[in-house]
Amino acid sequence: MNLIKKHIPLAIVFVFGIMTLASYYVPHRKSENYLEWINIWQNIVAAFALFLGAISLFYAHYKKIERKVDGWGYSLFVYFGFLVIMVAAIVSDGKISDNGKITFLGWSFNNIYNPLSATMFSVLAFFIISTAYRSFRIKSFPAFLLFIAGLVLMLGNIPLGEIIWDKLFAWTNTTIADIKNWIISVPSTAGKRGIMIGIAIGAAVTSLKIIFGIERGYMGKD
Amino acid sequence: MEFSTILGAWVAAGLTLFIFSFLYKDNPFFKAAEHLYIGAGLAWHIQLIIYKIIKVKVWEPMKVAWASGNWFTIWMIIIPTILGLSLITQFIPRISWLSRYGFTFMMGYSAGLALPAGLATDFTNQILGTIEPFANIVNLTPGQLINALILLIGSISVLFYFFFSIEHKGAVKKISNFGIYFLMIYFGASFGNTVMARFSLLYGRFDLLVRYSNAQYFYATNWIIVGLVIYFLLEKFVLNKVIAKNS
Repeated sequence: MNLIKKHIPLAIVFVFGIMTLASYYVPHRKSENYLEWINIWQNIVAAFALFLGAISLFYAHYKKIERKVDGWGYSLFVYFGFLVIMVAAIVSDGKISDNGKITFLGWSFNNIYNPLSATMFSVLAFFIISTAYRSFRIKSFPAFLLFIAGLVLMLGNIPLGEIIWDKLFAWTNTTIADIKNWIISVPSTAGKRGIMIGIAIGAAVTSLKIIFGIERGYMGKD
Repeated sequence: MEFSTILGAWVAAGLTLFIFSFLYKDNPFFKAAEHLYIGAGLAWHIQLIIYKIIKVKVWEPMKVAWASGNWFTIWMIIIPTILGLSLITQFIPRISWLSRYGFTFMMGYSAGLALPAGLATDFTNQILGTIEPFANIVNLTPGQLINALILLIGSISVLFYFFFSIEHKGAVKKISNFGIYFLMIYFGASFGNTVMARFSLLYGRFDLLVRYSNAQYFYATNWIIVGLVIYFLLEKFVLNKVIAKNS
């Protein structure tokens, strides 16, 4: 039992890990074919992972409705939203538009999913302002740098920033956009590079630990 | 104008305003829209998977392979499908260990792909980008040379900040503290970019609300705002008093 519960899964990680890793460095047609097929495999397996999430979500909301916990009625909207889009997808055969005419799925995307999604993220703009107030309180030199970089990035993207800069610093013969671009391409890139190199080393080590079966957290408990 | 367009305007404006109503306070309209978003978002991704992956990469190739008796392709579709289905066994405790087959495949593939790709883009390319300007140092203008030096010194000092194998004291501490300045500039720039991205989404939402407040859409935005204001006034001055009286 240990073989099929533990050793074979670990062998799968090792085999696919090593083969995928090797195929990156082997410029051969067979290696390319392998990568092509394995990408399709990954798409298919990952697709089922979403069903796993869907079942889990439906079960959680079903339990809320069954136990009539506070706000259980809102859980019905989860099912309602799901049904509307799924029915639209089935009726439209998964097409957004057909012969240049928008389908029911396209209508649902434009008028249900997109407004909900875009508004949910745009609401964060208001909360970011309050966060900015807290994080931009200048208490030290690093905090001052954080403030200046954030401010220049914001002002450099809006016409108001240009107007203010031209009024105050026209004598410098530079624009706020120049300063913004310099911050992005030089000091900000230096900070980002240090982080990226660190992440790359960490990711490489974690990948090796997974491939060689040292890291097994994803296997769950026996 | 078509009925579906007008209905769409009312639905889109309504859902947008329901979510914006959270800025005043948590309320039933926001909660309903929030839950609707969860369901609609899930359905949107599931339909993408059904029509763009299951149909295109499983169902249709399987039909063709079956008809032509191409057993290689049939097995190349059946195996990942079984691996994928094994994930669902997570919900059956007695055989949940089967899901390890699907998970281990995904982990192996992802680790094997992330290792070389991550090393190439985030490690070697970053180092290359930092030292490359010095290979052409004679052709650099003074400004480009200063920028290249700032990049080099900044990157190294940030790496020192994240280097924990030696104690940060003396010169190491000074260098790592210098790295903090570059990190702060990066965080500030990222923050500024995030703010601008959120605001551009916000402008889009406001643009939609203004568009749907026109007569051709039967003043959808205006009427929904009026409805929400009436609800909040009623809640504040009538409903809350009734609830307080009953309790």
